[in-house]
Amino acid sequence: MADILTLVFKNYINQSGKPKDINIITPSKCSTLVVGENVINRSLLLLAAVTAASELGLKVSFFTQVQIQSLPGSLQDDMSNLSPENLKKIKFAYPNSLEDLLQDVASLHEPVSGSAAPPSLIVVDGLERFLRVPGLSGALQQAELASAAHIAALLFDTAAFLTASLEERAAELSPCRVIASFQSEGEGHAGGDPSASEPILSVLDRYFQVRCTLDRDLLSAPGARPQDSWHVYLSGAGIKEASLTKGEEDPNLPKEWHMLLQKNGSMEFTPV
Amino acid sequence: MTDYEMTSCLSAVADQLLKEVQKTYQEKTQIPDDLLIALRFVFGSCALQALDLIDKRSVTCVSSFSGRRAYQVMGGSGLLYTCYTSCHYCPCPAFTYTVLRRNDSLLCKHILAAYLSQAMGLSQQETVSDQQMSSILSGRAAATDT
Ligand SMILES: [Zn+2]
Repeated sequence: MADILTLVFKNYINQSGKPKDINIITPSKCSTLVVGENVINRSLLLLAAVTAASELGLKVSFFTQVQIQSLPGSLQDDMSNLSPENLKKIKFAYPNSLEDLLQDVASLHEPVSGSAAPPSLIVVDGLERFLRVPGLSGALQQAELASAAHIAALLFDTAAFLTASLEERAAELSPCRVIASFQSEGEGHAGGDPSASEPILSVLDRYFQVRCTLDRDLLSAPGARPQDSWHVYLSGAGIKEASLTKGEEDPNLPKEWHMLLQKNGSMEFTPV
Repeated sequence: MTDYEMTSCLSAVADQLLKEVQKTYQEKTQIPDDLLIALRFVFGSCALQALDLIDKRSVTCVSSFSGRRAYQVMGGSGLLYTCYTSCHYCPCPAFTYTVLRRNDSLLCKHILAAYLSQAMGLSQQETVSDQQMSSILSGRAAATDT
């Protein structure tokens, strides 16, 4: 999935900077967990969904608890890509609870029996809303870990099954990727690995091969307000693989980006 | 080695071992002592408990029309646990505690029983509808409930 995120970074690259050569982005099976603040996470996920639908012609299943009110500024700037035809490829669903989300994801295999093609991208916005019950401790916290493993494992297993089915049906639509977002509790505290203090994140990391971390950039670009300047970096098992085999991440693509949020809400990326 | 590298290294050994079990069992229809010792070495006390579950024919491989598959393992307590075919997950308390929370082991006896019974060709087979499969995968229903 980091292939689609990398495509997003490349599409919304800062024009004034000297763009690095990012030519061919090979499809990757790796599922990605975006860890940052929920509003930024959602914008990035929407950009990824629209990019996958409009540029790659992929079907997308988008799960969120928050009604999508407006499109991120980056998309408003560039409406040419957004034909109704392309937008129809994205199916939004609004599960209310973890149980509903599990049921929705679990039934994604059903169209395979019919003629409809399954999605090539599954997006889950705001996993923390489905998983976190405030003020938990002890045994209940353990239940939270079990729930996190359940949804993450189900997403992994579903993507593996749909990838195999897409390969048989229409190889150009495979693999099926997963991208989910999670707002870490330690958000706002700079530095350090949040999973060290947050067991739920280390459980999610078992099932997501790539993590895309969005940190506030404290050494922000001149003239930018600190809240608009972000450090974006890709890490995880899917990234560490040095050799490129089919379905893995390309080690030559940039792993670190600087993201500047414009006044109209659009995002601008510069490779670091 | 980091925890992660340790785990992925161990799971490579575990994968190799399960392949070995499959190959040997196909040839000899039994697991020789050296492989049993290796299973105990890699999986600890889970190994014998898993073999015990297989003896009791506790593992069912459920499949539906879409081609989706999952394992259902009947635990000692009579509860049915659904495990996935492509990654390690089990809803049992031991998985949550020893694997997710403490990171002490790779898997629980149910997952190991599912893999071993698959390798040995000793799982029961059951076909369900696509909708039943969805309920099983989501944890809403067990196959035999419906
Ligand atoms: Zn178990």
